[in-house]
Order: sequence, then structure tokens, then C-alpha cells
Amino acid sequence: MSDLKQIPAIPDPDAIEPSDVYDLYFGPNHPGIEGNYSIRVRLSGDRIIEAVADGGYLHRGFEKIMEERLWMQNIALVPRICVPDPVPMEETYARSVEMIGGLTPPERAQWIRVLMLETSRICAHLFTFGGNAATVGLYTNMFWGVTMRDLFLDIFEEITGARIYHIYITPGGVRRDLPDGVLDRLEALLDELERRMPQFEDLFFNNAVVINRASGTGSMSAEQALAWGATGPNLRACGVASDIRRDDPYLVYPQLDFDIVTEEGGDALARMMVRKGEVVQSVRILRQVIPRLRELKGPVRCPLPNPLAWDLPAGEAYARTESSKGELAFYTVSSGGPRPYRVHVRGASSMHAVQVLEHLLTGARIEDVAQIMFSLDACPPEVDR
Amino acid sequence: MTIPAPLDEVLGELPLVAARLTAPRRVRVDARPENLPALLELLKGRLGFFHLSAISCVDWLEEGQFELVYHVWSDKLKLLLSAHVRIPREPGEYVSIYDLHEPAGFFERDIHEMFGVVFDGALSLDRFILTSWDGPPPMRKDFDARKYAEETFSTVNYHPDWLKDIEAAGGGLEE
Repeated sequence: MSDLKQIPAIPDPDAIEPSDVYDLYFGPNHPGIEGNYSIRVRLSGDRIIEAVADGGYLHRGFEKIMEERLWMQNIALVPRICVPDPVPMEETYARSVEMIGGLTPPERAQWIRVLMLETSRICAHLFTFGGNAATVGLYTNMFWGVTMRDLFLDIFEEITGARIYHIYITPGGVRRDLPDGVLDRLEALLDELERRMPQFEDLFFNNAVVINRASGTGSMSAEQALAWGATGPNLRACGVASDIRRDDPYLVYPQLDFDIVTEEGGDALARMMVRKGEVVQSVRILRQVIPRLRELKGPVRCPLPNPLAWDLPAGEAYARTESSKGELAFYTVSSGGPRPYRVHVRGASSMHAVQVLEHLLTGARIEDVAQIMFSLDACPPEVDR
Repeated sequence: MTIPAPLDEVLGELPLVAARLTAPRRVRVDARPENLPALLELLKGRLGFFHLSAISCVDWLEEGQFELVYHVWSDKLKLLLSAHVRIPREPGEYVSIYDLHEPAGFFERDIHEMFGVVFDGALSLDRFILTSWDGPPPMRKDFDARKYAEETFSTVNYHPDWLKDIEAAGGGLEE
């Protein structure tokens, strides 16, 4: 095992042999690192000969805490596992509880959940556009992406009362129905996003700096991506049309018309092109969801007992979701009682921020570390949990 | 709901405890620990279970066992199979499947760190998340997180001197 995994003692400068090989600690505080995360890289010149991912800076023990909380209380915890894309956390946990309890959310609640999920996907991808652009020195795009995302957070705030940690999707449905007029405002915002997309295109994707820096950077073949456990946009950027919404469908996704966006090349550019295409597809899905929600009436929660005295039967469930990062899954176990016996969170970044990242960094140049990490859209809190 | 015939055929080749559909596209298999690697290899080779979605660990303290659950997905069958094995909690040792599924490297390291299970042949069992932790594996059921926190961290009664001065002058925090 490499000694790069151990934090070394400070060496005596006189005892160091001359060498062109040196170690660099990339993070946990570094503008080119995503979140609180660290990568230790061994370099020869500016070429990486070994990379070791180092997590744990955001470990908050969610899985342990969830064993102490009531089934319903955990809804307040789960969105915090991934800040940029919190809705899939709520939805996947709630669905795993529903699978154990034999609950089916009312149809209107399922459509609302899809609205929340796809809006969250747009937000997450806009955020990533911004972060990715910044890694190649394009800060305008970052401001534009974050600004556009903020307008969608206004919609979340209107629906749920919160911008990030919505605590809105609960086992059995959603916490409350949509406020009057929000569908009109979301529709207008989608128009605005579509108006701005060509500007993003010109600023980012038709930009010589982006094309030159991202083409061929951090590339992997489809075989490698599958072997390393890549999922979501990172896998689809290698030409593999894999999407849990289509392959292992949930909610009302089978009723929705959308394309699975793929690209060839498997490099940083292809990964961002997939995300751009997915924003377009999410808008397309939302344009189907909005009219359906206008005509569909009914409850948004199925009847539940008092959440403070709610025992679930013994059982287990493995719920999977296609989040903006890739495959998200909750393995939830009940021993029959008021709280989970075990909850295991499988985040897509568990693969992308560790093994996939280590593979892609080996042989890369130091200036591409940030871009490779951001192009994988790795979310460190999802790894640490 | 019935188990697809090709899967039923493969499962029949190993002396398994039980296999059943638990939900649409979800199969639960209870295997003997000595059969699990062969089972996963058969599933991968014959039925396209290429994707290791996760390995989960559950600590059944009263039974003195760890339950390891291997979740694998087949794109060919559109099916998620969860293969369960139970191993004795002491000494808590099992074999790695890293040679078969590379993503196992992360999950085995995580389970070792959080539950103390040792996987023979694992990619790495080095600390990843709990780098400076010197306590017992914290996800074990006999580790009391609340007790640990109460014993390790002190609580602060927030009543600074400047506030006492304000209170003496008739002001203070509103209750």
C-alpha cells in the first residue's frame, strides 16, 4: 500500500534526496476542490503519477443518527446528505419507507414529486455548469449559473418554505399541496431558462478555452466506466444509455416522454454536454408535469397514523433514484418498530469521488485536477454521510 | 410475481437457503457464506449482473451476526438482486469480492471502518472517513453514540460576564 495514504512527518530538509517526484495536498481547503474534500497527489513535474482520495471532512454520522430518530423525523436529516441536490435524498428515503410499510402515495403527490425532482436536477446541473466553468477560469458562467439556479430556489421556497432543505417529501406523499399560481410562475421560469440556454451555449460550450481544456481531459471508455462503477451522466457520457428512470422506473416516470442523453468520448467535455442535454430534457418533463398537475385533483398524502406513534412492520427495501449525480439508493431495514434499524445511503459520489477520480487523475496534469473532479460532479458529503 | 426462469435456473445450481421476489424488480436471495462469491460470479457471467450497486452491512447484535447484503443489478433482466449472507459477529471476517466487482473496494473499506468486518483480499482496509478515530467501529449496535458524546464533550451554559453586567443593570435576555 502506498505511503501516500499516510500523513508524513515533516522531513529534515537536509535529509531529502534530490528528486523530481513530490507530493501535493490538494484540499481540503482549496478553491479547486469540490466541497470539503482532499486529494493527495504524487507528481513528477506537473504529471500525476498517483492520486489518493481522502474523505471524512464532512462526516456527520447520518446513518447512525437515523437509527435513533422516528421514521418521520429522518425527513429533516436526509436532504442534508447532498446540498446541491437534496430532493432525491428525501424522495428515495420516503420511498424506501413506503416500500416497507406497503404505502402508495396518491397520484397527485407522485406528480408533485417528479416536479420537485426534475427542478432539483436543473438546479444541480446549473450549479455544476458554474463550478465547472470556474475551473477553467470562466467566472461569468459561474455567476450566470448560480443566478439562474437561485430563481428556481425561489420556486422551492414558495412550495416548501425552504430553499435547500425542503423537508417536503414525506413517507406517504408530500407535506402540503402546491400554492396557487406556482405552476404559472414555474412555467414562466422555464421560458426564461430556455431563453438563456443559447447564451450558456455561447459562453461555455462554444468557447475555445472550454473545448481545448475539456476535450480528452479525464476520459474513460464505456468498459472502464462500467467496471469502475460510474453511473448517471458520467456513464452516459461514455455512450451508455443507462438511466434508472427508464430501467428501474419509479413514481410516474413511465408516463413521461423524455430522451436519455448520451455522448461519446467519456471526457470532461462529454460529461458537461450530457448535463446540458439533461437540463433540456428536464424542462421537457416539467412541461408535461405542469398541465397534468393543473387538471389532476386529489389528496397529496395517504392516511397515516400519528407520526410520533407509528410502528412499521419488520422488513427491508432498496429504493433507487436517478439523481443529478447518478445512482442514489437507500437500503432501509426495519426490525418492526418506531424507527429504522439500519439505513445505508449509497450515493453516486461514493464511486465518482473515490475510485473513478483516482483512476482519472493518474496520468493527468496538475492543472486538470479541479476540472476532472467538477466534471464528475462529485458531491463529497454524499461520500462521507 | 415469479422469479424469471433464467435466474431460477442459475439459483438452482447452488444450495441456497431461499430466493423470493419482494417487490417489482427486486429479488432477495439468502445464501450461505461459502456460496456467495460463486453466486455473484454466476450472476455476472450468465445473467448480466455487472453492476454492483452497493454492499450493505447490518449488525444483528442479539443474534451475534453481521448481515452482508450485496445489491447487484442486471441490465439484461432489469432486476435488482440482493444477496444476503450472515457471518458470525466475532471474529467478523469474510472474503472480498473486489476481483469480481471493483466498486466493492469502496464498500468493503467503508464496512470495515464502520463495523470492523475484515475482508480477506480487499483493495484497502485503511481508514478513509474516520482518520483520527481511536474508538470502536461506531456503526456497531453496541456503540452508544449518545453516551460517547456526553462523556467526551462538555456543554456550555452560555452566561458571559458582559451579560451579567447587563442583567445587573436591569436588562438581559428575554425569556
